[in-house]
Amino acid sequence: MRDRILILSVFIVASCGLAYELIAGALASYLLGDTVLQFSSIIGCYLFAMGVGSHLSRYVKDEDALACFIDVELLVGIIGGLSATLLFAIFAWASAPFRTVLYALVFVVGVLVGMEIPLVMRVLYGRKAEMREMVSRVLTFDYLGALVVSLLFPLVLAPRLGMSRTALLFGLLNAGVALLTARVFDKEIKGTRGIRLRGAIVVIMLIGALAFSSQLTRWAEQSVFGDQIVHAETTPYQRMVITRWQDDLRLYLNGNLQFSTRDEHRYHEALIHPAMQSLPGARSVLVLGGGDGLAVRELLKYKTLEHVTLVDLDPAMTHLFSTSAELTAINEHALTNPRVHVINADAGQWLETDAHSYDAIVIDLPDPSNFALGKLYSVPMYRLVSKHLAEHGYVVVQSTSPYFAPHAFWCVVATLREAGFYTWPYHVNVPSFGEWGYVLASRHDSFTQPDHYDVPMHFLDASSTREMFHFPADMLAPDVEPNRLNNQALVHYFEQDWHRVIR
Amino acid sequence: MPGMAQGHALRDAAKLPPPSADIDCDIVIIGSGAAGLAAAWRLAKEGRRDFIVVEGPEPDGNAAGASMAGQACPTGAHYLPLPSMESRHVREMLQDVGVIVGDAYGRQPEFDERVLVHTPQERLLRAGKWYEDLLPDEVDAPAQRAEHQRFARTIEQLKSAVGSDGRRAFAIPVALSSQDAQWRMLDKLSFRDWLTREGYRSAALHWYANYACRDDYGAGYERISAYAGLHYFASRAGEARNAEPGAVLTWPDGLQSLVRALRARIGFAAGSRLDDRTAPRRMSGFAASVQLKGKGVEALIVQQEGGASRTLRIRARHAICAMPLHVAAHVVNDMPGFGFDAATHLPQSAPWMIANFLMRRFPEERAKSPLAWDNVIYAGKGLGYVVATHQLIRVARPEYTVFSAYDALSERSPQEMRRWLETATPTELLGRAAGDLSMAYEHLWPCVERVDITLRGHGMASPTPGYLSNKGLLALREVDGPLQFAHSDLSGYSVFEEAAWWGEVAARRLL
Ligand SMILES: Cc1cc2nc3c(=O)[nH]c(=O)nc-3n(C[C@H](O)[C@H](O)[C@H](O)COP(=O)(O)OP(=O)(O)OC[C@H]3O[C@@H](n4cnc5c(N)ncnc54)[C@H](O)[C@@H]3O)c2cc1C
Repeated sequence: MRDRILILSVFIVASCGLAYELIAGALASYLLGDTVLQFSSIIGCYLFAMGVGSHLSRYVKDEDALACFIDVELLVGIIGGLSATLLFAIFAWASAPFRTVLYALVFVVGVLVGMEIPLVMRVLYGRKAEMREMVSRVLTFDYLGALVVSLLFPLVLAPRLGMSRTALLFGLLNAGVALLTARVFDKEIKGTRGIRLRGAIVVIMLIGALAFSSQLTRWAEQSVFGDQIVHAETTPYQRMVITRWQDDLRLYLNGNLQFSTRDEHRYHEALIHPAMQSLPGARSVLVLGGGDGLAVRELLKYKTLEHVTLVDLDPAMTHLFSTSAELTAINEHALTNPRVHVINADAGQWLETDAHSYDAIVIDLPDPSNFALGKLYSVPMYRLVSKHLAEHGYVVVQSTSPYFAPHAFWCVVATLREAGFYTWPYHVNVPSFGEWGYVLASRHDSFTQPDHYDVPMHFLDASSTREMFHFPADMLAPDVEPNRLNNQALVHYFEQDWHRVIR
Repeated sequence: MPGMAQGHALRDAAKLPPPSADIDCDIVIIGSGAAGLAAAWRLAKEGRRDFIVVEGPEPDGNAAGASMAGQACPTGAHYLPLPSMESRHVREMLQDVGVIVGDAYGRQPEFDERVLVHTPQERLLRAGKWYEDLLPDEVDAPAQRAEHQRFARTIEQLKSAVGSDGRRAFAIPVALSSQDAQWRMLDKLSFRDWLTREGYRSAALHWYANYACRDDYGAGYERISAYAGLHYFASRAGEARNAEPGAVLTWPDGLQSLVRALRARIGFAAGSRLDDRTAPRRMSGFAASVQLKGKGVEALIVQQEGGASRTLRIRARHAICAMPLHVAAHVVNDMPGFGFDAATHLPQSAPWMIANFLMRRFPEERAKSPLAWDNVIYAGKGLGYVVATHQLIRVARPEYTVFSAYDALSERSPQEMRRWLETATPTELLGRAAGDLSMAYEHLWPCVERVDITLRGHGMASPTPGYLSNKGLLALREVDGPLQFAHSDLSGYSVFEEAAWWGEVAARRLL
């Protein structure tokens, strides 16, 4: 009976072992791209680590083998169980050490798993099982377990539960094996109370993680989860990830969604056309940020426009959106259009040296989530922008969400006013973002909402435009200060507003 | 060590060749620090053209800066507090160079925001953690916190206190402060003794007060007059329409940007045509002697080129002596005749070390704390470090930055510390200079490309107890006639506004 329990453990242990391996491999190819290399190097690392584990098992004394097996199970349970959640978190928060942590985890789990089977065999051998039969039974169940998981994982577990929860589930199985073994063999090992305590802690932690896993994964780049990564790259400036789910292509910068092909037309039409429709003679436009070329695509619809200058910090970004077949299909080769001039520079620094003036200036920069970015939303920055704007021109600024981050949004408005602009804030619903906001600004006090558009639109028309410029009662302006470099009120507003939403 | 060779040559009265030329002018300004340039700016602004500025061994003096790998950085003064109501001369100057853009003489002028220090302004590393304040509230026990609040309240009261003569208790320039005995009495004891007398025990507060004295006066609070200690806190009441209270004005290379702008406004003649009396002129060289001669002043100027030196004689109707007093004491003939006896009246002067670390990348911050403009280490040996690229409007980090570490060498007497500076090996200097930075960063050195160290043996006058009634200084302030004195030393302590004030006073007397 007891031996059967041990053999059953082998079955479970084997399935867990394979599960961690599959999860690590899948995660690596999801998150890092380059599937074949990722998968085979992860498996190689894992198998090698198992070899190390088997070797290490010889240093366990015979009389300790059973207790050691139980401890190994608990360790595998907690480390393997949390591995996927941990990797997601690290990927979302700090891209740099991801690979290191991934391989380290794979190695540690591999070593522990590698110790399991030799230990079980020694326990059975010590219990006078016959060698021939024992080896055959253990290995049969070992491989059976592997078979079960290799089928369950892609068909049921990964799609239904996802990586984090699958790993947590197998962690619980490992811990269960440990506790069961401890219970069945409690006469033969010392310190079962300690084991039970440790086991309880592991189980509680895993169950806790399971309970929060949906929040955890949402918090850790939820949408990468499940979606396939088509491109991932860490540049000196940011981490770019492009994912696909059916016909939806998405760009994430540092884990923040920049666009989804499902609804980016709403965002970009709203960004560009209210200003451009009001500037019939516009000949030159400056775009700050917007390295994906989607704003430029909208601009190029105006045939009278002669020059579009795009200033984006990251050469990797503009390169990717100029060359990748999939992405140039979306931006309609905007960045390689002869009317477009792409410059890779820091927007503020570049403006300080540029001597031209533009009919419209489109500011499509990342949200003001830190002091460095906040500087680009400051009074002096807008004064600088103002110097480059033609007398009758318009500036339009993407200004975060007036619904989720009202203080931040209206702070951008106040900042533009402080810099001497007249402003016309507006907003639009972009389903993948929620309610999103822009501020149109100019040095003169006249702007009439367009009641039609001369270029073809998917979304904008007279009535959607009217709605854009109307702020309903739940989106009224709170009292805010302009964003001065001396206090960067905007960065604080932004942080507080989003904190309130995400909490 | 700017000026040391020339200075010590003067002290040791080296032999000089006879003058190779005579130059006549209306006014000669000897020294091109903040005081000299402020005088020149005022003269130019009021339409005077016929004057010469003699640069001295260090153009811009203690407001000088440098450049490392194309990045400007300070080697002396690095910021200006928001000017007080009394500092009309500084406000006018700031308006003239475009730093004040509106309401120059109001309670809250509007400043060019690029020059107002960007947030985060400062932070303090204490027990391994960065705090946003130099006296962070969250660390100390309630009893200490109560003391800190009491201290803050006292300072707030002193900021607005007005004496029976209608003047503010603690004004900048200090010469415009109230003469009331109730505050002047504070000049009799040290700042430390005052804190103790008033029942302040908090170690953090004592550290902070001591830090402020070392930072602004170059000496520990046990050697600084209580009046000066309080003056530091209570005189800074300037406000801005577009900045928080306590903001400062700063540039990548510190005040050098400001004095450079002043120079542009003065409009020095290009080239070195010293005889063209229709434009302000400046010349290199330092004064070896200055004396009253007939109705005017005669100055002997030494110019060194390569190994050779030549001398020029300047004959002027008026001279403004804008050199430090320890130099003037050797150069100006008959200082005792002006009421100044170097042996008793020379203020104690503090040695300073400014180390500019050229960084090829930004070192990793503890707990991702954002780098501030001024970064201070609690109980650190130095005075922390400022970041030259802080004011840039950039998203990406620049390729290079410069961290400027400041250190007033004050743990022993100034004489002893100067002796140490003269004998210390480069490695010893570097070790000292890197002290604070090594506490802030675990992996500092891989980020450092080069370190340039500037030593200022006589960096600034320290306001020791009794400085308000230093008879020699009071006498020099009043000297009027062919020769005037203008230097921050006249205030008994050293900040840009004081230097500029004496430049202003001297120039006004000549208008
Ligand atoms: C390290 C340091 C940091 C500081 N930080 C600040 C700060 O942040 N904010 C602030 O307000 N103040 C600061 N100060 C003080 C400020 O720099 C000074 O108060 C101000 O620059 C002094 O100007 P000055 O004209 O009085 O004298 P100096 O700067 O001493 O100028 C003296 C001038 O005289 C010239 N000279 C010397 N000898 C001769 C000679 N024989 N003949 C002709 N010319 C001669 C020199 O070349 C120099 O140009 C700091 C000072 C130091 C040392």
